[in-house]
Amino acid sequence: MALRNHSGVIASLAALAALLLAWGGNPYIMSITIAALMTGGVALAWALLGNLGGMVSFGHAAFVGAGAYVSALCTLRLGVPVPVGIVLGALGAALSAIVMLPALRLRGPYFALAILAYAHIFRIAATEWTSVTRGAAGLSAIPALPVLPGLDAKASACLLAGLLVLGFALAYRAIRASHAGLALRAMHDSEDATRVLGVNSTLLKGLMLLVSSAMAGAIGAFNAHYIGFLEPDYAFGAMWVTLPIVAAIFGGYRTLAGPVIGALVVSLADQLLFKEWLPIGHQFLLGVLLVAMILAHPSGLLPLAGNVLRRLRPGGNGKGGGHA
Amino acid sequence: MTELLLQALYSGLLQGGAYALIALGLALVFGTMKIINLAHGELVLMAAYVAYAAESALGWHPLAAIVLALPATGLTAAGMHWTVSRIRADREINSLLLTFGFAVVLTNGFLMLWSADVHSTSSAWLQDALVLGPLYSMHSEALSFAISLALLAGLWWWLARSWHGRALRAVAANRDCAMLMGIAPGRTELLSFVLAGALAAFAGVALYCHGVIQPALGGALTVKAFIITVLAGLGSIPGVLAAAILLGICEALTVTLASSALQELTGMVLFLVVLFVLPNGLFGTARRRG
Repeated sequence: MALRNHSGVIASLAALAALLLAWGGNPYIMSITIAALMTGGVALAWALLGNLGGMVSFGHAAFVGAGAYVSALCTLRLGVPVPVGIVLGALGAALSAIVMLPALRLRGPYFALAILAYAHIFRIAATEWTSVTRGAAGLSAIPALPVLPGLDAKASACLLAGLLVLGFALAYRAIRASHAGLALRAMHDSEDATRVLGVNSTLLKGLMLLVSSAMAGAIGAFNAHYIGFLEPDYAFGAMWVTLPIVAAIFGGYRTLAGPVIGALVVSLADQLLFKEWLPIGHQFLLGVLLVAMILAHPSGLLPLAGNVLRRLRPGGNGKGGGHA
Repeated sequence: MTELLLQALYSGLLQGGAYALIALGLALVFGTMKIINLAHGELVLMAAYVAYAAESALGWHPLAAIVLALPATGLTAAGMHWTVSRIRADREINSLLLTFGFAVVLTNGFLMLWSADVHSTSSAWLQDALVLGPLYSMHSEALSFAISLALLAGLWWWLARSWHGRALRAVAANRDCAMLMGIAPGRTELLSFVLAGALAAFAGVALYCHGVIQPALGGALTVKAFIITVLAGLGSIPGVLAAAILLGICEALTVTLASSALQELTGMVLFLVVLFVLPNGLFGTARRRG
């Protein structure tokens, strides 16, 4: 059992090491992998809120942007070291989520669009508050990520991004396995029944929002130091919402590995194929993919693959999905 | 200053008429199916692009393009209903994601077909000034306001009096009970979608006549429509009109008194305030959400 618990971690680390050994010197492959991993991080944060908290958010760009701006400003203006800046970015994003906590008493579409409203407000604030954020002119010369010894800048960033996403996955798994995780899973079936049993559902959902926002904020901060430039329309852009959602749904948002695997597949397909086929409006195919997944198999590919494997295995009955 | 304020109130009023049409389509579908169509703004934009294509490629007057826009948005809306009604599990979450997917598809479709450039009508008459005492507007704004009011009044009458309109309200109130009364809920839901598409056709052609269009506008239109639906509360057409005019006026006042960059912020703040302070909207009857 102990080995089974760690097999995912070991496999991820091995895949990361193999990737660096094979293509560590190729800046193009490294940069598309980093972009895919960052999509995976946001997809995981989104899926955590969706799976454990039962809430769909169209406003995760708010957290990505808040984390990016907090970290960039702390390192630029206050001289804080970059790793500390990323932690502060995550905390800043969680702090920004506190103003959204009243939205938790809303459900379904109301919550989804209230969060979207917050994301718009944040973007407008970042654009208009020029004395701090320099507005639409943007922040440039943001301090770069530290480079790990023995690696070049891209390979080092790729390793760090991989470890960050792995850390998210471990945190997600720990939450899911905890008492709170059990209560949250019960809430998915019936929130009212869970409340009757004495679970403070609003508190738990609020905590999930904070964890999810901190994860998205850390990714935003990491990205800000990786590319070294920020402007409001990019930091709070719609692509921080579309790509992670498609990735999480594609992989299976109720599983742990689904959002990350989905992000790697979807993000690489978007970069390598979709942009090749449709130089303008390549997100068209992302939308088609999302529609097709929701209609054909809304729980995603990973549970589907699990079912197929179970059916193939002798003695398997093919019952039960890969539900978390 | 007084003149500026009066002008802002007047412009907001006219803009509100156009917003009401968009919001009503969203509210109709939300009423019957309890889902928010996140691609509703894109339906409106589709009609606007049809008007643009009819004007630029065929040389039509943009107002005549309604003949093409109605079937385009109506059929698209029917297609959306067909896919949404196929969702079985987790309907609330999956319908949001599905219509979000449609919004992404349509936005990028417009981008591919008509590029990211902004377009507006080249008809001089539509853009000429209509002067009413101290108040100015374009011909197109006044015309679209009048058409909006006529459509809203017609729809109000239809919902209140006609058999199909009453069936639609019955399904919105209680789907199972309506079915027991001999109403086919599936067909009624389809009707609400197609009606939303038809309203979007008028709203889109009006949008093209008095404004500029670009592919990314759809999302903002959906959000505005949702804001108005929340402001109005559910189940009243005069409420939707009043909320739409309120939003239009607040936006116009923000532009006049502060800056046009904050225009979008007004709606968002209004939305959040109403959501937290008056969860049943300004005109809605008390009802539990979710």
